[in-house]
Amino acid sequence: MAETAQGPGRVLVAVYAVFALAAGARAGVQLATQFDEAPLAYLLSALAAVVYVLATVGLARGGRGGRRTALVACGVELAGVLVVGTLSLLDREAFPDSTVWSGYGSGYGFIPLVLPVLGLLWLRHLSESAAG
Amino acid sequence: MSTPLVVAATVVAVALAALGGLSTALHRRIGSAHLAGAGLLELLLLVQGVLATAAVAGGHRPAELTTFIAYLGSVVLLPVAGLLWARTEPTRWAGTVLGVAALAVAVMLWRLLDLWEVTGG
Repeated sequence: MAETAQGPGRVLVAVYAVFALAAGARAGVQLATQFDEAPLAYLLSALAAVVYVLATVGLARGGRGGRRTALVACGVELAGVLVVGTLSLLDREAFPDSTVWSGYGSGYGFIPLVLPVLGLLWLRHLSESAAG
Repeated sequence: MSTPLVVAATVVAVALAALGGLSTALHRRIGSAHLAGAGLLELLLLVQGVLATAAVAGGHRPAELTTFIAYLGSVVLLPVAGLLWARTEPTRWAGTVLGVAALAVAVMLWRLLDLWEVTGG
């Protein structure tokens, strides 16, 4: 059976790992040194980092549990980028410092918007090929 | 941080990403050219890392020093991680995996250079 971290899936894991690393490093520094300046934005950065780590681990490990973890993480990520993206455009005051998800991920080449969609498509493709 | 070195590493990184994409397009696995490219990139990053560490030890203080150090450590590890992850992939997608790591290195290098040039406090 096709697994989550093989072929194109391995590329997806690589991109997720880069985002987990970048978002994690950034969130860690922000929370540690400037939490008071923009608590909402920095907590969201930390949440995004956790979601990226979960998606990376879920996709890399595969199996039923891994796929379920990845599915939830990609779902939360897609919802997050849409909600935070919209809010950041409507209410700039609440987001003085940008997060990974601000402006639908425009600061990161919109990859945060594309990535969960690719992740969900990949997971659907795998479950279809497993069923068929 | 040395700008010429960043430019050189970026050129190598982009070339490595192109090479990776090419091997995926041609249905090939990664070969010695990819290995050499990743090795050269890693060498340039290590030199950059040593120079930056020496300058920080000598008193250069980027405004966001913690972020700078976290990114510098990450960027040095990226080609190694990318290569290991690509080497265990038996299909043509190994090249793209390596390419992702190489492009991430290129982006992070310029972010590092930005951080390096903003000093103060």
